[in-house]
Amino acid sequence: MKALVTGAAGFIGSHLCEYLLKNGVRVVGIDNFMDYYPRSMKEANIVGMMHDKGFEFVEADILTVDLSKILDRVDIIFHEAAQAGVRASWGESFKIYSDNNVLATQVLLEACKASPIQKFVYASSSSVYGDTTDLPMRESSLPRPISPYGVSKLAAEHLCWLYYKNFGVPAVSLRYFTVYGARQRPDMAFHRFLRSATEGKHIAVYGDGEQSREFTHVDDIVEATWMASKNGLPGEVFNIGGGSRITLNQVIRLIQEIADCEIEVRYEEKQKGDVRHTFADMTKAAEELGYQPKVQLQDGLRREYEWMKELVESLSG
Amino acid sequence: MGISQELLDILACPKCKGDIYLNETKDGLVCDECKLLYEIREDIPIMLIDEAKAIDK
Repeated sequence: MKALVTGAAGFIGSHLCEYLLKNGVRVVGIDNFMDYYPRSMKEANIVGMMHDKGFEFVEADILTVDLSKILDRVDIIFHEAAQAGVRASWGESFKIYSDNNVLATQVLLEACKASPIQKFVYASSSSVYGDTTDLPMRESSLPRPISPYGVSKLAAEHLCWLYYKNFGVPAVSLRYFTVYGARQRPDMAFHRFLRSATEGKHIAVYGDGEQSREFTHVDDIVEATWMASKNGLPGEVFNIGGGSRITLNQVIRLIQEIADCEIEVRYEEKQKGDVRHTFADMTKAAEELGYQPKVQLQDGLRREYEWMKELVESLSG
Repeated sequence: MGISQELLDILACPKCKGDIYLNETKDGLVCDECKLLYEIREDIPIMLIDEAKAIDK
């Protein structure tokens, strides 16, 4: 079996590639190394796989790469590539989001019409729900994103649905809830908090810190993604959460325990596009995919902290 | 290690979608049609039009 992973050098994409290789799946990874965060971090994400004979990697952009020959040779597509970042998606930047999240997905789906792929798994986001008070968030709820980023992820979900409905492309969408773990992007909360704890600096929190998130460890995300490729019914959407919903203030207390230090917290203005709460109803993922999160937040956070210490040490060395 | 034939077989020029081939020094992929060289750096083919180098043939 062979899979195409887009965004293969990214945070989730690189973990997914490793998981697939360990499970005997050969991987073609593509990534355009978008400059949202340092290229060196993405290169480090894939360096361990470059000598694996089952791994082939190409630096390419979905919008220009010739997909036909690639798709002829793969059985499954994992579409993890995206322009990330809720807060950066306003204003003129939106074009980057519409190109990389909406148009790129359409280009891939269009190419799939002519290819006999078994499954197209699209990495969507809990941000499609917006600032709902109807918790937990269910796949059947009306999605109403409050950030341009969320709009772009929802638009791509709709594209998956319509390419399935009209052309039979076997697309499944997964709404990932706040993913964390080693290799997390530098703009994400846990990365920023853990780095501050490691370097003895203050933590900046947007808002009052009482916003809550369903945090999902990347190992659980990767397993759910694999399960979706096997068990996910085409045309369907699934919430993928971690079963750990806590406030940012509680996370900071946990980090202080793990790092065994006091951290100064500075509360800053709430950012436009940030939702108050996320909380996943995972009944559907459990029943239809067989997915159950395994990594407890405290364990996952401790593992990310160990990774962060190594990262900070390597950067200072 | 170099890139595999299997990988070469699925690549095409991102500009014209035509055939490409490994150059003699095995550090780049050539598109004769577009007269472009796509470099291979640390075993990674860089199939980006903006990064390609013009070649005289």
